[in-house]
Amino acid sequence: MPSWEDFKPFIVTGLALGGVYALSGVGMVVLYRATGVLNLAFGAVGAMGALLSWQLINHNGWAEGPAFLFCVLFGGAITLLYGVLFGPPLSSRDPLVKAVATLGLALILLGVMDLVWSDKARSMILPTSNNGFEVSDVFVNYTEVIAMGFAIAVVTFTSAFLRFTKTGTAMRALANDREITATLGVPVRRVEAAAWLGSGLLSGAAGLLLSNLVGLDAATLTFLVISSLAATLIGRLRSITVTFVAALVIGLVDALITPILSISEYRDMTPFVLATVALLVLSGRRGSALTGRAG
Amino acid sequence: MSVADATTPSTSRRVWLPRLDTGDRVRAGVIGILLLVVVTIVPALLSGYWVTVFTSVAIYAIVALGLGILMGRTGLVSLGQIALLALAAWVAARLFFATNMPFPIVLLASGLITMVLGSLVGLPALRLSGLYLALITLMLAGAITVVLRATNFPNGGSGFLGHTETDHGAASIRRPAIAGGDTAFLRYTIIVAALMFLVALIHVRAKPGRAWVAIRQSEPAALAAGVNITLYKMWAFALASFLTGVAGGLLAAESGQLFITTFPTSDSITLLAVVLMGGIYSLWGAVVAGLLMQFLPALLNNWGVAADWLTIVFGAGVLQVLLTAPQGLVYQFPRDMAKLGRLIAGLVGRTPARERAG
Amino acid sequence: MSKCGTKPGVKATGTPIKLGAIATKQPGTDFTDGVNMAQAYFDCVNDNGGINGHPIQYKYYEEQTNPAQIAGFAHKLIQSDKVVGVVGGFSIIECAVDHKYWESLGIYEIDAGIAPECYGTPNSAAPNMGPRYSSDGAVQGVVRAGAKKIAFDQSNVPGTGYIAAGPTSVAKSLNVPIQQFKDNVPIQDANSVALKLVQAAGPDGGVVLNFTPPEALKILQAAQQQGLQDRVKAWGCSTPCNTDFVAKALGTQWDGKLLVNAELNVTDSADPQDTLYRAVFNKYGSKVSGGLGSFSQMGFDMGQFTTQALESIKGNTYDIKTVNTALKNLKGIKTGTLCRPWYYGQAPAHIPNNSDWTTTPNHGKMVIKDGCIPISAADPGIAQVRGIEQKDPGLTSPTTNLPPLAAGS
Repeated sequence: MPSWEDFKPFIVTGLALGGVYALSGVGMVVLYRATGVLNLAFGAVGAMGALLSWQLINHNGWAEGPAFLFCVLFGGAITLLYGVLFGPPLSSRDPLVKAVATLGLALILLGVMDLVWSDKARSMILPTSNNGFEVSDVFVNYTEVIAMGFAIAVVTFTSAFLRFTKTGTAMRALANDREITATLGVPVRRVEAAAWLGSGLLSGAAGLLLSNLVGLDAATLTFLVISSLAATLIGRLRSITVTFVAALVIGLVDALITPILSISEYRDMTPFVLATVALLVLSGRRGSALTGRAG
Repeated sequence: MSVADATTPSTSRRVWLPRLDTGDRVRAGVIGILLLVVVTIVPALLSGYWVTVFTSVAIYAIVALGLGILMGRTGLVSLGQIALLALAAWVAARLFFATNMPFPIVLLASGLITMVLGSLVGLPALRLSGLYLALITLMLAGAITVVLRATNFPNGGSGFLGHTETDHGAASIRRPAIAGGDTAFLRYTIIVAALMFLVALIHVRAKPGRAWVAIRQSEPAALAAGVNITLYKMWAFALASFLTGVAGGLLAAESGQLFITTFPTSDSITLLAVVLMGGIYSLWGAVVAGLLMQFLPALLNNWGVAADWLTIVFGAGVLQVLLTAPQGLVYQFPRDMAKLGRLIAGLVGRTPARERAG
Repeated sequence: MSKCGTKPGVKATGTPIKLGAIATKQPGTDFTDGVNMAQAYFDCVNDNGGINGHPIQYKYYEEQTNPAQIAGFAHKLIQSDKVVGVVGGFSIIECAVDHKYWESLGIYEIDAGIAPECYGTPNSAAPNMGPRYSSDGAVQGVVRAGAKKIAFDQSNVPGTGYIAAGPTSVAKSLNVPIQQFKDNVPIQDANSVALKLVQAAGPDGGVVLNFTPPEALKILQAAQQQGLQDRVKAWGCSTPCNTDFVAKALGTQWDGKLLVNAELNVTDSADPQDTLYRAVFNKYGSKVSGGLGSFSQMGFDMGQFTTQALESIKGNTYDIKTVNTALKNLKGIKTGTLCRPWYYGQAPAHIPNNSDWTTTPNHGKMVIKDGCIPISAADPGIAQVRGIEQKDPGLTSPTTNLPPLAAGS
């Protein structure tokens, strides 16, 4: 068993990893709360945006700033496009159908990425990755700080937005019952479009940060959402705050297991095990939001 | 309430298994003859490569059949079937090396053990709503993959894990004595697959099938009608796991050696896509799904076309099926063909008319 | 460009000699540079007289690490494509899946091997030495740099136990403790991994990595960002790190600090074979998407060795028997892309490349730090082939000159 001194730096790396999961997790919950769609293509959209901005920088001579902005806007555009095209026709279907449909988008994007950027090693470094400061012997770079800060900002902002603004209230109502909300005079399509766009911009930004923190690779970034999903599940797809905290806990547990050699190899199971346990505990409670129509 | 909540084909005809009308008898006869042709003549015509491709088609058709029953009959979605297949292949490989049991017994045993394991997953998950169930299967699939990556697959080594590493070749997983060669093994696989389809058919037409239909149409109504919802959902889970278990046994024997790289997470998503595209309301959809997943990539590879195009097609297929054609290719394709036929007939019929007019 | 074949500028028009291979291409792993470069070399041969007037017709299949699929391709190559030789392949598990089939047919495969069976079986020989022996070399390099303890980390793919045995025995013979790690790829928590390795190695130790370039890069960059690169004596890496891509991405902080075991020469060496390699790459290598690098260099070597074997066939019969006999009889082939002459020969195991370079990044490029150093015979696999080489000195004495030298350039 490593000593406490050995563990200390892993708390920092764990929080950084948790911030990575939190960013995608929160992004997915925001859209789910507003539209009832669990966007499983969240990672794929971000991956494609990041690869596009890599392409623009390395082959089209773009400066870094505009290319990074393009990535964020691409995420917003493609997600909005999907939402406008496929949101309304699927709106009356079960949340499961809506989620499975986004897997269609994920597969399309994954196929395109594998065709165009055929699995060569790539890397793209944000200027913020090379600078940072030290916390208990561990160097924290600004990209990690931005990821974490970004996640916190999104949590605060969306919580406030959903609670206090008119559009936010409309979104929450929408997620509960689309028909009734529409009859109440809420411009359903416009509100939904706003949610798609916002979540899409978030996926683009997350893709950019994650490509820096985890690696610029289509499959990695696409399937990273599975680990983030664990956090959203613990937050029962509803609570942005719980999702955020769960993501940090997952990151921490994962990192703290790393130096314990006997189980280090199994640490990638952390998100799955925690999510499964949490779900089973939650499902044990009668009348929880899980067992009914989760929307 | 799920993928299946759109239009469903009439099920009122499916009452009791033994009561076969003339149409059924004719159909059974046609299928029997077709099967005979597929088992006897087709393998002999195929070259070595296509023999292995069609063996994979048959194996994945069984896996698709399991997922199809889950989705089409009870509206449950599993995103972890390929991980379950990997687990089944591990179990089968372990049994093949540890025992001298005859091949069919090992298949049955691996089916039953996988059934128990799959049901263990299903049992607590059944209390969750559809979306949560799908996500929890995804979580468990991730966990299974991590464990199998650490343990590796049995290859004749000692100990519980049965894995050893040498540089001069590990032992191969055995095949049935009567089907050692590739062609014979293809025949064997097709026969096992046919039996599995029969097992599925019996379930669909008998009491469980009717219970599943009731659950899919409305859980409260089914409950009111006295259907034991938990039991029959569980039953569907168990059946799907059993089918996957048998498929895992066949896959182990076909491959000879197993690697975790054969079971990527993305394949669970692809499987879901092809099962949807094939059609989840007909057992034939599973055959189409097997062809989409294993034959089409091989064909493209043969033509030198990147298989990535298929990923795109599958993605579009998922959206298309969910939006417009919930019954999948099995229903859609003949309908489209008929439409195309009418269109062509219309064009042909119109052209002379226009000429006359001109 | 006249050096690939025997008749400069004359297109070969005879009946083709059919060769084939299987290479891995799947998300995250693309090994097609090898086959595409072998193809490029054969194209060059075909434009310059071919083999005794016969062009080489080359066919390869891309696999996705699925044993059934790979076995299917092997059958297809033999039964449908009627190839007479299997050369230039580059796959994670092909040797493991097919070696018995090749043995049953009398096929002697030349492949850029990864699976253990590429080295430990009679019917496979590779221009490279594979992950295990390259990791051995990396451990030796790090110990030479003064490391007193080794933390060895490899990607968790099939064969980790086999690979780990090499560095363990080498470290033991050098009286250096070694700690083994495996990490799942793609790595999601590179920071923790880097930290774990540095802690395990300690200030007097060294970290040795065996990963594909992007994964190794993640760990190295994470170490760099956390300022860990100076917390250990030295960093080592097996061959995959030997690309300019890694050197460029890392920046100059790693110059002289990262020691890469390089199974093949740097791609800009002045050696005539390397010059030819670059020339063939420029003219015929448009499909080699990875550019100049170890992978395509291996493909070039395999193309050259095969051509050498085909040209040695007397009479005009090119069937499985003659071609594979010629391949098996290859020995003493001197090329500047490898440290020592390459051979096939009849042996229970083949590691003809068992002595190589150590490279290090230098201003965005990989440069040679240490000249040819033999991989330690403390690894039983190496000891075995050294025994084989001792028994038949003809295998390694440079007797066969490749075309450019023969042409006097």
